[in-house]
This record gives sequence, structure tokens and C-alpha cells, in this order.
Amino acid sequence: MRRVRKARAGALFMFAPYFAAMLFCGLIPLVVAIREVANPSWINMKGSYTTIYRILGDFRVIPALAHAAFLLAIFVPAMIVVVLAISLLLDATPVRGNTLMRLVLLLPGIVSGGVATLIWTSLLGPNIQWNGSNIRWLIGGIAFTSGVGSWIVIQYGSLRSISHEVLEAALVDGCNRFQLAIRIKLPMISRYIGYMTILLVAGAIQIYSEPTLLMSTGLTTDWSLSQVAYSYAFRTGDFAGGTALSLDMLIPNIVLGIVFVMNTDFLKRGERH
Amino acid sequence: MSHPAKGKSALLIKLTLWLITFTVVLPFLWLLKASVMDFANSQAGVLAWVRDSVVFTLAALIFSVLSSITAGFVMAILYIPFRKTMIVLTLITMLIPATAMAMPLYVLVDHIHLNDTILGLVIASSYYPFGAFLSYLYFSSAMPGDLVGMGRIDGLGDWGLFYHLGIPLSKSLWSIVTFFSFINLWNSYQLPKVLLNAPEHSTLPMGLELLYGRGTATVGILMLIPAVLLYLLSQRSIERGIFSGAVTG
Repeated sequence: MRRVRKARAGALFMFAPYFAAMLFCGLIPLVVAIREVANPSWINMKGSYTTIYRILGDFRVIPALAHAAFLLAIFVPAMIVVVLAISLLLDATPVRGNTLMRLVLLLPGIVSGGVATLIWTSLLGPNIQWNGSNIRWLIGGIAFTSGVGSWIVIQYGSLRSISHEVLEAALVDGCNRFQLAIRIKLPMISRYIGYMTILLVAGAIQIYSEPTLLMSTGLTTDWSLSQVAYSYAFRTGDFAGGTALSLDMLIPNIVLGIVFVMNTDFLKRGERH
Repeated sequence: MSHPAKGKSALLIKLTLWLITFTVVLPFLWLLKASVMDFANSQAGVLAWVRDSVVFTLAALIFSVLSSITAGFVMAILYIPFRKTMIVLTLITMLIPATAMAMPLYVLVDHIHLNDTILGLVIASSYYPFGAFLSYLYFSSAMPGDLVGMGRIDGLGDWGLFYHLGIPLSKSLWSIVTFFSFINLWNSYQLPKVLLNAPEHSTLPMGLELLYGRGTATVGILMLIPAVLLYLLSQRSIERGIFSGAVTG
């Protein structure tokens, strides 16, 4: 017989502040954004939900999509590989100055996009002739360096929590260090790798700060999809167009999120208490 | 790190890590040098930006950390209606582009007459789904059902479970959620840019943009110092293993 569970007041009370914040800062703005799309826009004067795909016809969208695809193809896989490689190396052996090393590796991750842009442009010097081709490597490089460090902390932490017994059993079974990393450690932190992948993909599609702060080069105005959406909403006052493009950006992330949830045991946790 | 590598492979690993570390630290040494040279160029307004950044970050940090960790605990351990929906909504809202949220948030904050105020920015920044999701992951894997069941037998209610079991087992989680929430708020750029229009209110990242090329390195160092200090303070508990709890080794 199916047991009927009843929520306790304590649980509801504990969840209430987060739920209030979710409503005010997440769900209500999302509903407002979805409703806003149906209003008249510069690219759809009559106003309807067809703005969601009509906005894709803007001449700036295809280049911005190409830039996002570039980041997704080069920098997101590179970040995943580098984060996992450094986390596994840090976990593999004690190194003198390990504490300092982890702090230094984290440093690029704790600077803002603005500071990272300042550092990179100053380091590369004034003599570089920026063009559409090399500036995308600069933006990708900034996003890469500022994203890697914090994920190393998370993945290193998750590696540290793998049970000693499991690793010992694998070594007894004849695993070498490389096999231990690839066949035992990585599968055991796969949920966190999936989580990182989703957020890195979302970050690449939604990149905003780095190209905005590089606008002094004259090459990165409306470089990314977020910049085009921002331009619609806050420069031309076309909120319908801006939110329509933002919702378009959300679609691949939601698909990826659903695939992730469906293919992991994220929502399963046995009996509630 | 449980089974350290030895011999040549250990040496290779150490050399690789030191090489990476050396490459990473170079730009920051340059920043430090440039900040000393830039100090005279930085303006008096910097102190006001520091004050606004500190007030905004601390207020939003306290709410976002407390609310997200308790929510993660509830979603992982306790029963609430629509629990799975809440988890999926947390994941979805985490992925919504900031641009999509900026305009509706501007309208909402304006509606409660808090536009151009630090309080309005604090309220708009108080939702931290990343922390809630990380906490959900942590409590799901680190707190065994048996332990919770024993807590119930001992007469613990929902608050008791959280206070006597959840908090003691999640010190490293508190450190890491606090650290990442701090970084997120301290470096926040897009939302303050939309919500703060009055010239008397600016956060450090906005000031960085205003000062570009004139004392920016000083602001850069000012932005870096609190984050480094917070990391050093919480490093030990972060490195204990963020997902180690009652059962892992």
C-alpha cells in the first residue's frame, strides 16, 4: 500500500526563504520575460510569440552564434580536460607547497571578468592588431583562465571524498595509477563532471562580461548573444526582442539539463525522512 | 589524496604542477607591480565603491548562503510537496541567461520602489541556486538514510536533524558555498549595471569599467584581496573534501 507522506512544518519553514528568493528572483522574472516576448518588437511590430524565432533573423545573431560555437568547440572541452587533469594530478601525489599551489591555481578563477580583461590586454601589449579572428581567442582565453580555477577546487574536493577502501581494492586488483584515475576516480565523480559541463556550456552560450569589457577594441560590440539581447533591451528599448533572444539561449541549456537529469540518478534518493 | 604516486611518476607530476603554477602566477605578479605604480592615479571614489561593494556583498551573502544550504538539506533529506519539481526548477533557473532576468528584475525592483538602492540590488541577488544544488548533491551523498532514521528515533525533528546532524557534517560545504557565493557577488557586474543608475552608487566591478586605464590595477588588487583572504581562511575545510560526509573515507 502506498504510504502518504505529509510535509512537516519545520521542512516547509526551512525551505520558505529559498522558495521566496526563487519566486522573486527566478520564477516571476521568468514568467514576466515569457509574457514580455508577445509584446510588439522592432522585428515583429504586431507582437506575438513568433518573435522567438524571428529574432534569429537579426544580422548579428548568426555571427554571435558562430562565436558561441567556437567557444563550445574549443574552450569548453579544453576546460573540462584541464580541470580534470589538474584535479587528478593534485590528488595523485603530495607536493611540497601544495597549499600555495592550489591558491595560485585558483587565483584566475577569483578575479572578475574586468580584472582578467585588464591583465590580458596589458600583458599582450599595445602592439597587437586585434581582428575578428584573434579576438575570439582572447575572449576564450579569458573565459578559460577565469573558469578553470574554481572548478578545480570543486572537482579536487569531490576526488578527495572517494572512499579509501574503493581505491585500495582497485590497486589490489592490479590497477595502475592511470587506470585508477580513468576507470575508478572519474566514473565516481561523473555527476559532478556532468554538472560542470552543463554550467560551462551555459557560460559559453551566455558570455557577456569579457566581450563587453573589450569593446574599446571596437570589435566586440554585439559579439555574443547576450550582448545582442542586452542591446535590444537596454539600448533600443525593445524588451520583447531582448527577452526573446534570451529565451532562445535558454533552450539548449534546458535540453542539456533534461538529458543530464534523465541519465543520472539526480532525483533519486530513497526514502524521505 | 589516499594512495600517493611514487618514484619517477611522482616527480613528473610535481614538475608539471609547478610549471602550471608558475605560468599562472606571472600575470598576478604583473598586476601587483602595476597596482603600486597606479596607486596615485586611483581616485577618491574608490573608497565609496569599496563601501557599497562590501555592504551589498555581505548582506546578500548572509541570506543566500543560509537559504541555499537549508534548501539543499530539505530537498535531499526531508519531505516537501513537489520536491522533484523544486530540484528541476533550481537547475533551470540556474541556467537562465542573466540578460533574460535583468529586465524583469529591474521592473520588479522598481515596482517595490527600491531601484537605484543597494537594498534593491541585495534582494535581486539573494537567490543562489548554485549553492542550493551543490548542497543538495552534498546531503544526498554524504548523509546516509540510516543516520537520519536514527536521528528520528532519537526524537529529532526537522530542525533538530539539520542542527545536530546536517550542520556538523557539512562544515566544508558551508565553506565552499560561502566562498563561491562571495566570489559571485563580489565580482557581480551585469545586475549592478542594470539596477544601479545613480552615480553615488557603484560597486567595484562597475568602478573598474569607469576607471579603465586610470588606476585600474589598484582596483583589481582591491578586488582580489578579500577573495584570497576568504579562501585562505576556509581552505582547510574546503580541502577536507567537499563531498566527504558521514560515510566516505
